Parts: sequence; structure tokens; C-alpha cells
Amino acid sequence: MAAAALRAQLNALLANMFTTGMVDEQFQQLQSLQEDGGSASGFVAEVATLFIDDADRIIADIAALLDQPVVDFDKVDAHVHQLKGSSSSVGAQKVKLACMHFRQFYEAKSKEGCLMALALVRSEFCDVRNKFQTMMQLEQ
Amino acid sequence: RRRIRVLLVEDEEIHRVVARAVLRAAGVEADEAENGAEAVRRVRERVGGAGAGAYDLILTDKQMPIMDGHEATRQIRAMGVTTTIVAVSSDSLPSDVQAFIAAGADDFTPKVHAGPSNPPDQSCFTPE
Repeated sequence: MAAAALRAQLNALLANMFTTGMVDEQFQQLQSLQEDGGSASGFVAEVATLFIDDADRIIADIAALLDQPVVDFDKVDAHVHQLKGSSSSVGAQKVKLACMHFRQFYEAKSKEGCLMALALVRSEFCDVRNKFQTMMQLEQ
Repeated sequence: RRRIRVLLVEDEEIHRVVARAVLRAAGVEADEAENGAEAVRRVRERVGGAGAGAYDLILTDKQMPIMDGHEATRQIRAMGVTTTIVAVSSDSLPSDVQAFIAAGADDFTPKVHAGPSNPPDQSCFTPE
């Protein structure tokens, strides 16, 4: 009975993540790979964990770059590009979109704009990280 | 029926993990290289005297440490290797595509993340 309740909680969480646009079809496809594609049972958790670790590091690196007196916008570009790729791989749609929004500011070499864009990326990442961590706890 | 021999060249672990799962769902177990230099080494080993024969397909990212996908493609072609090489990259501007084709790649696909309902296009190569 407890297992059924946990499963219901997990399903509700996942449904919420989809309906709010937090995750997209890519996340669904990762689930399909786990369920139907022969991947191990912890595959989605593995990808989510890799994304969380990548994003934590990349966001910290971008913050450090923007904290410099002279900002290396090419490096900011490279880091945002990498984060966009990671978020795309896991299906973290809102983080991906925040990264795409970021581009206009480092292309314009606007430190203020980049700081605002980074705040958005960080906010979207924190939201999806919390959801992924709850998902992984419910799956255990 | 001979198994298809694939080399996946990708530096980011998250992309390797996803690509590995997609390929496995399509019945393919791929060798992996984390940068272009490693890819060139693996190709050279396979086509060498004691090697297991050329790969049927090489999937390569663009931006990687040590050696990028363009240079790896050039060096693989310089060895006389005719394996189908498909560039897989998030950078999909026409200039990015053209640069890869000029280096010797056969095709380019954006990093659209395939799932079981959208398996990798295998028509671009013919195993022996």
C-alpha cells in the first residue's frame, strides 16, 4: 500500500513537471529508454544527477567570471553553451530556455544583463533540481 | 548478421550516457572516445595490422578538449579511412556544417536527442 502511495506521489510530481513546462519531451524519452529501451533502472536518475552536478559547477564558474573586473564574455558563452547542452540532454526545458535568453547579453557584452540572466538560470535550475531530487527520493 | 561497429566521440559525460542508451536501444554497443585525439588513436588501432577492422560509423561532437571534431575528422581521413563520419553538434549554423563537411565528414546532425520513437538514422552507412 505504501508503495502504491509513493508511486502515486511520483506520478503526480512528474505530471506537474511536464504541465508546468519544467521538463520537455526529452525527459519523457529518457523515461522511455529506461522502461522500454533496455537501460538500467537508475538511468534517469543517473542523467539527472549528472545534470545537477554539471549545472552546479557551470553556474559557479559563470558567477566567478562575471565577478572579474574585466569579464571574458567568450568564456561565459562557452559555459552557457555547455549548460544549454546539459539541460537539453536531460529535458530541463526552463533551464534550456533561460540559457537561450542569456545569449543576447553576452553577445552584447553586457555585464548587468548577464548577471540578470544568470539569476534567472540559477532560479530555474534550483526549481528543477529540487524536483529531480524529490523524484529520486521517491524512486528509491 | 554482423554487429555494427560504432565509435562515439564526445567529451561530456552526460551526452555519452544518453547517446549510449539511445544506441543500445537501437541494438548498438559503441566504443567511446572522450576527445578527438583518443578517437584518432582508436581508429588507427582498428585499421592497424592486428586491428579488428574499421568502424562502420563514427559519431563525433565538435568542441572537445585536446583535439576537436574537425581536426579528428581530418586526421582520420588522412589515414585513408572511409568510414562514415557523422558530426553531432549543438552548433548547427551553416558555417559549422560546412566546416565539418570540408574536414571530411559525410553528414551533420544537430544534437536532437533521439528516443526509441526516433532512433538514429542508420541509412547513412552500410555495414559490410
